[in-house]
Amino acid sequence: MADPIVTARGVDIFYDTTQAIINVDLDILPNKVTALIGPSGCGKSTFLRAINRMNDLIPICRMTGEMKIAGQDIYDPKVDVVALRAQVGMVFQKPNPFPKSIFENVAYGLKIHKMTTSKTELQDRVEWSLKNAGLWDEVADRLDQPGNSLSGGQQQRLCIARAIAVKPRVILMDEPCSALDPIATAVVEELIDNLRKDYTIVIVTHSMQQAARISQRTAFFHLGTLVEFGDTKTIFTTPVDERTQNYITGRIG
Amino acid sequence: MPHQHIVKKFDKNLEKIKATIVEMGGLVGIQVNDATAVLLSYDAAEVDRITAYDRIINGLNKDINDRAEILIVRRQPMALDLRQTLAPINIAGELERIGDHAKSTAKRAHIIHNLPPEDATLDMIAQMSMITQAMLGDVLTAYANADIDLAAKITEKDNEVDVLYKQIVQTVIETLSKTPDTAESLIHITLIARNFERIGDHICNIARYVHQIATGEDLKASVDPADLRMDK
Repeated sequence: MADPIVTARGVDIFYDTTQAIINVDLDILPNKVTALIGPSGCGKSTFLRAINRMNDLIPICRMTGEMKIAGQDIYDPKVDVVALRAQVGMVFQKPNPFPKSIFENVAYGLKIHKMTTSKTELQDRVEWSLKNAGLWDEVADRLDQPGNSLSGGQQQRLCIARAIAVKPRVILMDEPCSALDPIATAVVEELIDNLRKDYTIVIVTHSMQQAARISQRTAFFHLGTLVEFGDTKTIFTTPVDERTQNYITGRIG
Repeated sequence: MPHQHIVKKFDKNLEKIKATIVEMGGLVGIQVNDATAVLLSYDAAEVDRITAYDRIINGLNKDINDRAEILIVRRQPMALDLRQTLAPINIAGELERIGDHAKSTAKRAHIIHNLPPEDATLDMIAQMSMITQAMLGDVLTAYANADIDLAAKITEKDNEVDVLYKQIVQTVIETLSKTPDTAESLIHITLIARNFERIGDHICNIARYVHQIATGEDLKASVDPADLRMDK
């Protein structure tokens, strides 16, 4: 088994005095889709956001324990958070394109991180990103139109294109399909499966079926603790913990 | 016992499938019992009645398949629920095959009813029937109560059925040379014994499904198909 790309050890996360994550150890393997599941308020999104320090934006939120990406402690004070978020991209529940053109949405990260040296290189990288996000054929002739003129599913793929443009190691997805119709969801799920050849993906989802379809590893969170973590097939067929079984089968625990 | 589903109809749907399996198993048990009785006391009308069970049992088999199919579509069952939905499709198939063997047994009654009363094979057939009927009762109880200990004991009983089958075959071979005029009846006795031997096997398969529903573990020895491919 390959070395994990993300390692969490003894992670505790607090919102003021309320503990949202309790002593979580978790290894995320490269080029796999890892699904985080659990009831609302179980801490899965909080844990996801800890992987690229998005929780830093919440003043009352503090974390203890260790979170490493490729062996580097991302909570080390010397870490440049902006650079970290280029390495660990994020796609949100609701598509959130910038109020800019389709082209500028994808080019934005490349420009602020100064990742291209010429206009041609920038154009090539935007095209590459849109192609890898499965959107190029639909927008190639209207790159100058506003990003928010696209459909919901297209906007979400635009956000994925924006995330992969800077070639992150890890992509975090927080319920990326919850605002999409079933067809747009299927397109994004197909895209996620294609992306894992080159990226490591961690996805929070409320859909058991989606977690079962697209992930190779699944972690079940409950009341801030990591109850069970393992191969997706095992979690959804023969879970060990009764709490996992009760949750995935829709039983009263 | 697992907790109740939040969606109460989910529990009702699973319970209905379980109840239909138990109902089907009960009917199959009656069919096996009646088929054995008609061997010992031939009655053409009774054979027709036993044969007619087949349509009811096939109907229940279809009902179970339909209920499992619609439950998968509506509820997308996972883990224990998935096994409780899928296994009945197989269990109903096993029960339906047991019914076929009972029917095949009853249909042979008119050929073997003129065997001499001292023929030992009929007595052994009756023993096979008694054991398999007890096994069927136990496996349905094990299924209804998710009792894997009871399910595990069923295989041991099947060994007794297998021993009786071999004894019948041996007896038939020995008798054929002494009384060749009973050859047709004896061949059918062998086929009836074979029916009960197969009934025992189908019940063991159901016991395996009972274990699989409760634990997720398939006790059937199998090889990964990838290991069998020539071009691996």
